[in-house]
Amino acid sequence: MTATATILPNRTRRNLTIAKAMAEAIAQEMRRDDSVLVLGEDIAALGGVFGNTRGLLDEFGPARVRDTPISETGFIGAAVGMAAVGLRPVVELMFVDFFGVCMDAIYNLAAKNCYFSGGQSPVPLVLMTSVGGGYGDAGQHSQCLYGTFAHLPGMKVVVPSNAHDAKGLMIRAIRDDNPVIFMFHKALQGMGWLGTVQGSITDVPEDAYEIPFGQAAICRAGNDICIVSLGAGVHLALDAAQSLGEEGIAAEVVDLRTLVPLDRATIIASTAKTGRLLVVDEDYQSFGVSGEIIASVVESGVALKAPPRRIAFPDIPIPFSPALEHPALPSAAKIVATARQIVRAGR
Amino acid sequence: MIPVVIPADLWEGEIEGAVSAWLFADGDAVRAGDLIAEVMVEKTSFDVTAPAAGILRIRVPAEQPFKRGSIIAAIA
Repeated sequence: MTATATILPNRTRRNLTIAKAMAEAIAQEMRRDDSVLVLGEDIAALGGVFGNTRGLLDEFGPARVRDTPISETGFIGAAVGMAAVGLRPVVELMFVDFFGVCMDAIYNLAAKNCYFSGGQSPVPLVLMTSVGGGYGDAGQHSQCLYGTFAHLPGMKVVVPSNAHDAKGLMIRAIRDDNPVIFMFHKALQGMGWLGTVQGSITDVPEDAYEIPFGQAAICRAGNDICIVSLGAGVHLALDAAQSLGEEGIAAEVVDLRTLVPLDRATIIASTAKTGRLLVVDEDYQSFGVSGEIIASVVESGVALKAPPRRIAFPDIPIPFSPALEHPALPSAAKIVATARQIVRAGR
Repeated sequence: MIPVVIPADLWEGEIEGAVSAWLFADGDAVRAGDLIAEVMVEKTSFDVTAPAAGILRIRVPAEQPFKRGSIIAAIA
């Protein structure tokens, strides 16, 4: 007899990339609900340049899985219209950087129609879009723009860091009656040409399941400093926390999972416990996610042992040259160095 | 040891493929039929499943190019 029982899952382990988890979530919702359809550039025959619609055309056919011309103005507008009349489109904006030509349909129409109509005309749209850099794709294909979308009311904003969360958040997004911006980081997709962060590949249940919006995850517990991040930054924070642990600093890592709604309660509780806060955000520093999180903590009145800090992308266009881009991005080394300073300052 | 072979007819020509993602770590136990890797050739992706149950021994790490017909792992 042993004192502790080993708890085994009632199923075998199955590891997936975020790309496959997203495709599986969409397929399961398409089987359940005929009003769900997918459209975007290269999402049908190719299966998506980021792999997240692979297999859908074969199963559901071209009427529900539509390749569109290269006109975001046209097909994002079409998706918003489809959602307004009762369909549940999942539309891909291949790179979030391209939002400029279709933003009116997103933030003036999709985001506001439910409010304008007194709730009579919701827009159950999922806009999935790739974000992030680090692979030399320059200033029009490497941005995160988390803050840009999270700033504007009427849309929910989701940023998964691993395959398990990506599936549950996608299913929740498709079932939501509000527009949801589903922002997936290219470094986490499991596509070789973008590099793959191994930690994003996780065990994914086969059944459909939802992850509720507005619930951050504590990925690693610690008492000395709270590190808050999202998307690819979570993995940098976890790597940093491992290094910090080896020098006796116990970092807690919070994965936001959704920006809208934002789980301020978890951030504040973690900061209250540790007395120290570091925010890691690959989006531009000024007027964005990192500032909002720090402001939320400060406004809560939590006692801090040291001033909160942030690591974000400097307020410059993203360079093409790796020699210039890489030093501008958040990194585990930057997190370790900054966390060390915060902990020492607070002693 | 049962080799995990990339079929010689999986794609055409002399272009090289690479594992974009190993879905299990070296030394993990796998079952026959488990999806163990994804292989990218240009922008096309292929699934690689375990040919037998056993311990996965990775021979070719992610993102290292190989030709079709190559052995990328073994099941011990």
